[in-house]
Amino acid sequence: MSSTRGGSPVLAVTGWSAVSPIGTGAAGFTEAVRTGRTGGADVSGMFDAPLPTGRAHAIPDFRAADHLGRKGTRHLDRSTALALVATKLALESTDAAVDGDAAGRAGLVLGTTAGSIRTTSEFSRDTLVEERPYLVNPVMFPGATINCPAGSSAIRHKLRGVNATVAGGQMAGLNVLRYGAHLIGGGHADVLLAGAVEEFSPHMAWGHRALTEGYDVPLGEGSAVFVVEDAERVRSRGRTPEAEVLASAFGTGGPDDTARTLEASVVRALRLAGVGADEVWGVATGEHGVEGLDGAEDAGVRAALGDGPVRIRVKRLVGECNSASGPFQLAALLAHHRTDPGLDGRVSVLTSVSADGAAGAAVVRGHRLPDGTVPAETHDEEGDEL
Amino acid sequence: MRRVVVTGLGPVSNVGTGAAAFGAAVRAGRSGVSPITSFDASGFPHRNAGEVRDFAPQEMVERLDTAEWGRSSLFAAAAARLAVADAGLDPDELSRAGAGSVMGTTSGESQIIERLTEEEVAGGWESLSPHLPRQVPASRLAYAVNRELGLTGEAMTLATACSAGNYAIGYAYDLVRTGAADYMLAGGADSVLRWAHAGFFRLGAVAEDVSSPFDRDRSGIITAEGGAALVLESLEGALARGAQIYGEVLGYGLNCDADHMVSPDPVGIAECMRRAHANAGIEPGDVDYICAHGTGTPANDLAEATAVLDVFGGAPPPISSVKSMLGHTMGASSAFGAIASLIGMREGFLPPTTNFSHHDPALGGIDPVPNEARPADVRIVQNNGFAFGGNNAITVFGRVS
Repeated sequence: MSSTRGGSPVLAVTGWSAVSPIGTGAAGFTEAVRTGRTGGADVSGMFDAPLPTGRAHAIPDFRAADHLGRKGTRHLDRSTALALVATKLALESTDAAVDGDAAGRAGLVLGTTAGSIRTTSEFSRDTLVEERPYLVNPVMFPGATINCPAGSSAIRHKLRGVNATVAGGQMAGLNVLRYGAHLIGGGHADVLLAGAVEEFSPHMAWGHRALTEGYDVPLGEGSAVFVVEDAERVRSRGRTPEAEVLASAFGTGGPDDTARTLEASVVRALRLAGVGADEVWGVATGEHGVEGLDGAEDAGVRAALGDGPVRIRVKRLVGECNSASGPFQLAALLAHHRTDPGLDGRVSVLTSVSADGAAGAAVVRGHRLPDGTVPAETHDEEGDEL
Repeated sequence: MRRVVVTGLGPVSNVGTGAAAFGAAVRAGRSGVSPITSFDASGFPHRNAGEVRDFAPQEMVERLDTAEWGRSSLFAAAAARLAVADAGLDPDELSRAGAGSVMGTTSGESQIIERLTEEEVAGGWESLSPHLPRQVPASRLAYAVNRELGLTGEAMTLATACSAGNYAIGYAYDLVRTGAADYMLAGGADSVLRWAHAGFFRLGAVAEDVSSPFDRDRSGIITAEGGAALVLESLEGALARGAQIYGEVLGYGLNCDADHMVSPDPVGIAECMRRAHANAGIEPGDVDYICAHGTGTPANDLAEATAVLDVFGGAPPPISSVKSMLGHTMGASSAFGAIASLIGMREGFLPPTTNFSHHDPALGGIDPVPNEARPADVRIVQNNGFAFGGNNAITVFGRVS
């Protein structure tokens, strides 16, 4: 069991965004969570290749050019396109300094499962079906590499600080928060865009079908990105964070020990945060409808926190978004804080478990937005040139 | 904050497996390059790679079922198992301690994606093997290490391409330094891939026979594979248990060129060196040896030498590339560089740059330690790692006297 407190700082969230099946931008996502809007779209026209289902929680009308303009968006793989838009909207939502000299201290920590699996597979496919195995499209080579979304986002936004890609799958949300805290604590960065991206594709859809055999679990896609900084530094400059990640814990065990691994992680994260289980108002879990894993997560949460906290299952809205799941869970917690002023200053927990026996938790304190109101439609929706 | 040392090394490489065999091979300048056997390379004009021909995971791992894990995960687990043995750690005690792993990779389990792709091409989407998608996530590299060793702490896979091994060492260093973990396995793993071989070839970046970093006539990389792991623990703990100490992790630097996805930028690389020095609390003049990223492409070696000359002035310390022997092991490469550097520091030699024939006047007065290992008193090493996406990562190691 490892922990982030004791050497790594409390992280302040000073901005965020989402590109999701239920809404775009922090405001759009918040509104969707408030009203309980669920994803689900006709995906039959998205690809030439066949899909196992005609509907999924994809974003078929997502087009990078709508947000970024046409220049440089034609050859983007979908993961990179989603990341470019999510990071752009996150940067527009924050008052953190990322320009000029500060750009050298600003970076990204982006989660993924295995990059754009579709791009990798199509690149590999060309080595089989073209006349010569090397007649691949060199323009797609970077996109076949796992760190393309993070590298491309840094180029687009001129962020010259740390640039990291964490292959965390279901645990990616916790991974990027933990790694981000250590990078900031170690003096390697001042401002990080921490989040994850996952794309919908035939490859993901067919793989997902095999992984969820016997269950009806819609596959989603999207990206959520948080601007994180050292909370103490933010407050010392008179700025108010929207939320703070107080502490986190992460453990691994055998696949049959997941409930206990999670319970221990939650208990440890609460202890590091100095928060009692009875203070927790809500738990955003990664439960998604596959019995065994959901059962373990539920058991771990109940063992650590009892039955009191509100359970937030955001995958019911956005679908199974793999590495982007954790970030969407955090976004859902912040959405509740934005819409319920009574939650101001209260503490919630985010949990994740993986089929490989990893489990972890983060403790989050949410605040009312500085003006104390539910935000009106902000520029992250208007500025989309939709 | 605790001082952090390296007490165990686990190389699984095409020039030798285990610290002793690997160290002897690097010192002798042995080549791990051979004709490709893992896929049909007959259609490629350049058909050499650095495969680990004798990799026998079932003889190296004790807990993992090798049928359930991809080749890169097995490289990671086997390397970690070796590193723990080399560190003289009792596996039971390790699994009871606060211990975990951070592994770096470029392509994770892309061999599994290639197999699924072959199935789709041959038999359509309905024909995909249902057990393979579970093996695709790159996160499994670190999970394989934790599962194999029964570790209960962090397990994180950093997919920052060809500098990922250094990212992994940096994060593991921070976890031990801050007390968040007592022991960390850090390193990297990657497997030879048809698609990556094709991609690098298409970029004009694959050498025909061998790679010759820093040579005037260098023509590219040799794609390669392997697993590399290091045991990191606190200096205090290592001294208390009487462990061998290869060296101390003094610090690391990370930054991003933010300029181009595939072309290295000497300005960004120089900045990364300055960050690494500042983080490690050293001056350029303190560095005795630079273990180069040294891929052997015209662009990398020029950018790297330009940055070195900028940071160190006209007479930089010797800089050599172990990729001349191993080929480019991608996400494992900077972890292999760290292992070679630490063995050299302990045994008193600089690894050579093999296949070297002609100085390149464009690279100024750099000393690539041509062809023969050189006896040297090495106190501080700078280990370079650069990558697609402008992902620069440099680690700094020091001798513990």
